[in-house]
Amino acid sequence: MDLNFTPEELAFRADIHQWVAGNLPKDISHKVLNALRLSQSDMQRWAKILGAKGWLGYHWPTQFGGPGWTSIQRHLFEEECALAGSPRIVPFGPVMVAPVIMAFGTPAQHQRFLPGIASGEVWWSQGYSEPGSGSDLASLKTRADRRGDKYIVNGQKTWTTLGQYGEWIFCLVRTGHEGKPQTGISFLLIDMKSPGITVRPIITMDGEHEVNEVFFDNVEVPAENLIGEENKGWTYAKFLLSHERTGIADVNRSKRELERVKRIAKAEGVYDDARFRDQIALLEVDIVTLEMMVLRVLAAEKSGRQSLDVAGLLKIRGSEIQQRFSELMMLAAGPMSLPYQHEAMEAGWQGEFAGAAVCAPLAGTYFNMRKTTIYGGSNEVQRNIISQTVLGA
Amino acid sequence: MDFEFTDDQNSLRDAVARWVEKGFDFPRRHAIAKAGGQTRAVYAELAELGLTGLAVPEAHGGLGFGAIEAMVVMEELGRGLVNAPYAAAALVAPTLLSAAPAAVQAAWLPKIAAAEALVVLAQTERHGRYRLNEVATTATSAAGGWALSGQKSVVPAADEADAFIVSARIRGAAGDKAGIGLFIVDKAAAGVSVKAYPTQDGARAGELLLANAAATLITEDGFGVLEQATDVGIAASCAEAVGAMDKLVALTIEYMNTRKQFGATLASFQSLRHRIADVKMQQELGRSMSYFASLKLGEAPAQRRRALSQAKVQLGTSMRFVGQQCVQLHGGIGVTDEYIGTHYFKRLTMLEMAYGDTMHHLGEVSARMTDSAGVFA
Repeated sequence: MDLNFTPEELAFRADIHQWVAGNLPKDISHKVLNALRLSQSDMQRWAKILGAKGWLGYHWPTQFGGPGWTSIQRHLFEEECALAGSPRIVPFGPVMVAPVIMAFGTPAQHQRFLPGIASGEVWWSQGYSEPGSGSDLASLKTRADRRGDKYIVNGQKTWTTLGQYGEWIFCLVRTGHEGKPQTGISFLLIDMKSPGITVRPIITMDGEHEVNEVFFDNVEVPAENLIGEENKGWTYAKFLLSHERTGIADVNRSKRELERVKRIAKAEGVYDDARFRDQIALLEVDIVTLEMMVLRVLAAEKSGRQSLDVAGLLKIRGSEIQQRFSELMMLAAGPMSLPYQHEAMEAGWQGEFAGAAVCAPLAGTYFNMRKTTIYGGSNEVQRNIISQTVLGA
Repeated sequence: MDFEFTDDQNSLRDAVARWVEKGFDFPRRHAIAKAGGQTRAVYAELAELGLTGLAVPEAHGGLGFGAIEAMVVMEELGRGLVNAPYAAAALVAPTLLSAAPAAVQAAWLPKIAAAEALVVLAQTERHGRYRLNEVATTATSAAGGWALSGQKSVVPAADEADAFIVSARIRGAAGDKAGIGLFIVDKAAAGVSVKAYPTQDGARAGELLLANAAATLITEDGFGVLEQATDVGIAASCAEAVGAMDKLVALTIEYMNTRKQFGATLASFQSLRHRIADVKMQQELGRSMSYFASLKLGEAPAQRRRALSQAKVQLGTSMRFVGQQCVQLHGGIGVTDEYIGTHYFKRLTMLEMAYGDTMHHLGEVSARMTDSAGVFA
């Protein structure tokens, strides 16, 4: 047992720290640290800075141009980025579809798709959920019918995060209609400029446009855009889910947000209120505990000696914590969290209502965070999976 | 970064587990509890395994092992529901004695290692709750030594102990951290009396009454080492709880997979499945923070203190939740005295209060918060 990073790891962290400090644009980190609205160009600017350094695909193996870091190095990189106030890497390209293309794509597909993902040039979206297929994803109905060297895609995807910027979308589509629902699904890459695709915004309760519906009306997709084998898409999707084991806990960002909770509580005069302060203390304990659990998984991964199957626990706990810090921030502001003005989320806005700069985003963030226990497999679905492992039945 | 045990640590774990399996089954444990909780004979068996010298330096006849070995032993004692005062006598007491003059260490540590002397901390006072600085017991310097007067409460294994390490006020007002001395008091000394009783979890404790009792000084400035020893106790109770929770959860899973109602096993009902998933969550959160507790024992006092309180908040939460839910998942059998699971629940309940309960340590965390927090903060 050893709770220390190696000297090499500490040196690595120092290098990352220095690089991020020198390369993360201040206007972007200001927005992140104050939960202000990020534009597409903010997100893509940071993605391209990372891409130019070869770190957008920071968990890619060297054979595909990644840095080949260990699980611990990846964690340290994530932490340095998070604490400095970098935007979350939009995961759909580098984190989600790229590993599937690497593992199951052809060399031609590697050549065609990976460079644009690695550089941050091409914006990817995810087409999984459908109006009738949320937690029960395998029941999806969007169909792709083979016609010669093309697929004709018809149907609808939903909850497509940041799909309004999407240039490509990776989709689970139905190509088989017999047997178990899981067996007839294929993994298809679709150019979002294709005729027949319509993207419509879904405005969430915070008033923001983050997610979308994507409609497919006789969209022609070249058959060469199929990943792997037809009807094996479910396997690839599961591979994708198993790929990122600790990221979903988002503990590094929660550590940063805990600091913000404390700042806001001090500014609003509740930090020294014992009842309020104890709530922060509880959150602090929960975050330290989550970090320990993440470190256990990372250490196991690095050593390769044992596996620690706690991904579902990390998802549940991480999402609950995200909700709690957003709740505490809002409650710290109290009545000052009531005013709503869409513009108040823009950097530099000089509002006319009291407490605007600090308090304006708080209720919105709280509303937004309700998604965390729902997406990525709702926490109830996670409990189903955990209970299956625990009970062996 | 490594959370694996060495081969030696695994061997140590196996040795304790084998002893539990062969020599400390539930009927024996139950009989001891029914008879009043006397465990000196059990303690002697732990001594035969070499465990009582685990934390005693080699120079004094012990093994000189560290915090992780202690954690391994405590996990197994927890799993085995062993009700001997191991943490108090073999881990906490040697820590306190580390502050003693060499002659006092030489007089006591070899006997502790050999279990010839059972020495326990007598700290709690009637209204002191978990506050180490609430010391009303007084120490006065007398010709050639010290004399203590006062009352200490719920002292572990009080009537089976041979001596007590007593916190007593040398100077200052009640509640001052300065002016608290630590002393060894021989149970046979004049002015010492014990009123013992069984505890809720099948062990034994008692009131220690001191009336001008002769005492040997460990240190006149005892608060720091008292905190340190309490942190050792916290880590031990965390590890014991992990072992106890592991066993209780295993029993519960087995029960859920066999007990049938409405023609189906309990394991088939979603409300119960989600509950066991939540139990698993608290179990793993608790395990993570038990590791954290033991790994942080060697840190500087401020960091150690904060970390150990953070750990006890998580473990207190975990053991209460796991205990309560596992009883509930069992249904009626879970509230009977004859069922083993019940006794794990009772032990876990008392462990939450060992060395400070969840609310006490939440207050400690709250008072010690700084701008940033985390495993390495």
